[in-house]
Amino acid sequence: MKKNRELENIFDDCLERLARGETLMQCLESHPEQAEQLESLLRTAQAARETSAILPRPEFRARARYEFHSALQEAASKKRISLFGLRTRLVTAMVALSIILVSGGGTVVMASSSMPDNPLYPVKLASEEVQMALTPSDIDKAKVCVMQADRRVDEIVYLADKGDAQQVDVAAERLDECLKTLVEIASPKEAEAVAVVEEEALPGALTAVPEAAPAEEAAVDKATEKSALAGDGDLDEMKTIVVGNAASNQSALLRKLMDAPESVKPALHRAITVLATGYEQVLTTFD
Amino acid sequence: MQDEESLVRRAKQHDQEAFAQLYEEYFDKIYRYVALKVGDRMEAEDITQQVFLKAIKSISSFKWKGFPFSSWLFRIAHNQVVDYLRKKAKREAVALDDTLLTSDDDPHLEFERKLDIEQLALATKKLTRAQQEVISLRFAGELPIAQVAKVMGRSEGAVKALQHSAVVALRRVLTGIG
Repeated sequence: MKKNRELENIFDDCLERLARGETLMQCLESHPEQAEQLESLLRTAQAARETSAILPRPEFRARARYEFHSALQEAASKKRISLFGLRTRLVTAMVALSIILVSGGGTVVMASSSMPDNPLYPVKLASEEVQMALTPSDIDKAKVCVMQADRRVDEIVYLADKGDAQQVDVAAERLDECLKTLVEIASPKEAEAVAVVEEEALPGALTAVPEAAPAEEAAVDKATEKSALAGDGDLDEMKTIVVGNAASNQSALLRKLMDAPESVKPALHRAITVLATGYEQVLTTFD
Repeated sequence: MQDEESLVRRAKQHDQEAFAQLYEEYFDKIYRYVALKVGDRMEAEDITQQVFLKAIKSISSFKWKGFPFSSWLFRIAHNQVVDYLRKKAKREAVALDDTLLTSDDDPHLEFERKLDIEQLALATKKLTRAQQEVISLRFAGELPIAQVAKVMGRSEGAVKALQHSAVVALRRVLTGIG
């Protein structure tokens, strides 16, 4: 037992020395008694280390780096938006409600057609939130989301015309949030999800996701999933609406791409990607 | 690289430069770890990318508490690999793709190395899960024993014993193949 532990320690020590650049012979000379046992194992370990010759393909490395940095930027801007939102959304919603009460809704109606560069635009966003909060059923919430997505696309087109690439990106982020909300609404509710696949039995703490590790989404048996909107033809109706809107919104952005200023085209491309991915996720959820 | 703890602290505050440094430090290691575990270049690329995207999403929940960032990141990688293997359980592992090799190698050496890598990827699949893990973390991920111990939730002594038994088993398998 003690001998085994000693050999395991020596073996590990030799591995460290090899990693630092010492030769196999130097290691073996330091441990003449175990040299015979060690030599074959160290050669095997060295062969295993050759896996470090595996390098990511340069094109993958470049693509992955680009996507990582995009995701970082997105996360940072979402944080800014959410911090800003926490402070301002409540205030704006209160203001929107006050304006509705005072003006009888005229200002909100005017705001509903405002664009992001209009002073009434925050009222438009706040009234959309109020509308969503006051909508009771999932199917109606989904319809509100679909309508809001259309509005975001109109705004992207408007901002592209103005040549404001930065605001196109912001509007695309809002579109993304909107479509994600739609996915959330349409996703099966947790209580209905069954057949949660358990974590694979692995040694030690590997079986348990640590506190700090990202929560693994429960893997759900897809065959048993049903959209939360399923029932009474609601799902079919929504599908038809979303398929139609996805197509028309996409062609609106593609058309704009043809005549938009060059400076705005990269942002428009990103918006088109957001739109295509978002609608695809929504339709996947419906399926 | 700057002190890792301060980089992580900055990354948690969405400091892009700090997170980018951590990314550059661990990208290759995570890729190699995943590639050895799944034995498929395209999947290894996808999974590696997912690991870092998950890390961005979850960094705010990371707490240092003596648990190094690398261990946390490799656990994400491990979970991603487990998820992938679970979904592909019925599919036989395929041999590593040629493109896993660096392209500027001497053709003769490349051939030799290719054999080693293919053998290694296949051979490790014949080891126990714990042995596979220690080989992947130690030799592909290049983690020191102390961090392997953290990732696997075992003592350093236990990991040394496991490492030894893994290499003994690997040698047996490779000799059998050869």
